[in-house]
Amino acid sequence: MTLDAWFIIGAIVGIASTFVCVVAAVMKKKPNDITLLALAAVELFIIAYAIGSLVRLLNGVPLVGEPWEFWGYIFTAAALPVAGFYWAMMERTHWSNYVMGAVGITVVVMMARMAQIWYGTGLSAQAVPALETLRLGLGS
Amino acid sequence: MSTPTTAPMETPKGRTSGPGRLLITVYAVFAISATARALLQIGTKFNEAPVAYSLSAFAALVYILATISLAKPGAQWAKIATVAICIELVGVLVVGILSLTDPAAFAHASVWSKFGQGYGYIPLLLPIIGLIWLYRHREVK
Repeated sequence: MTLDAWFIIGAIVGIASTFVCVVAAVMKKKPNDITLLALAAVELFIIAYAIGSLVRLLNGVPLVGEPWEFWGYIFTAAALPVAGFYWAMMERTHWSNYVMGAVGITVVVMMARMAQIWYGTGLSAQAVPALETLRLGLGS
Repeated sequence: MSTPTTAPMETPKGRTSGPGRLLITVYAVFAISATARALLQIGTKFNEAPVAYSLSAFAALVYILATISLAKPGAQWAKIATVAICIELVGVLVVGILSLTDPAAFAHASVWSKFGQGYGYIPLLLPIIGLIWLYRHREVK
């Protein structure tokens, strides 16, 4: 898996978002501006990643894997902060921050998989079973 | 978000409240990822490993059922959730053991292979936590 700037920035945003939300949850705080902004940052990053990926494709940068699989991940990742927001807001307790914290780290795992799809995994056919272990749906 | 006039309880009780919402969140993430993965496998390369990919689809259905039944209130849904999560626990244990003792039969990994190693062993922890949660929130008659 190639670690490009998109993945590194996405990982930083996602992990920071989870960290902020979990710290707030441990402090028994209800969702506040800080944790909601942390969740919004993940959404903004995914939107930027989608636009950036589209621009790269239009400029002829190759996408090694299946385009529909890549875009399926993008749309799912973009839906997660929204779904997490609604699920967290339906009952506002400090547990809502744990729910929102789950979004960032999930998106980081999905970013890893999207990087694999974009660059190809670069492994030979013999390594397919091992590769499958790495690929596991969202996982890496 | 405005503060409601009636002060909500700080830690609501009940199966679908508080920590239950986080549990349902994690189940939902697994339901989505397992379903997407199963559809992908069955749609693109089902003939390579029909048994393994059918197993993936079965696991996905179990996660979907567990997510929905955990999120629904009532004793009936609690029973369904218990059954679904027991199936999940048996699935992750059986597939986990078989994938170690007979790796050739499980070359095509599923979510439960090697006790969910590829998912950070969360598939093994999730049903245990789920059953403890259901037990602690069982309805006393």
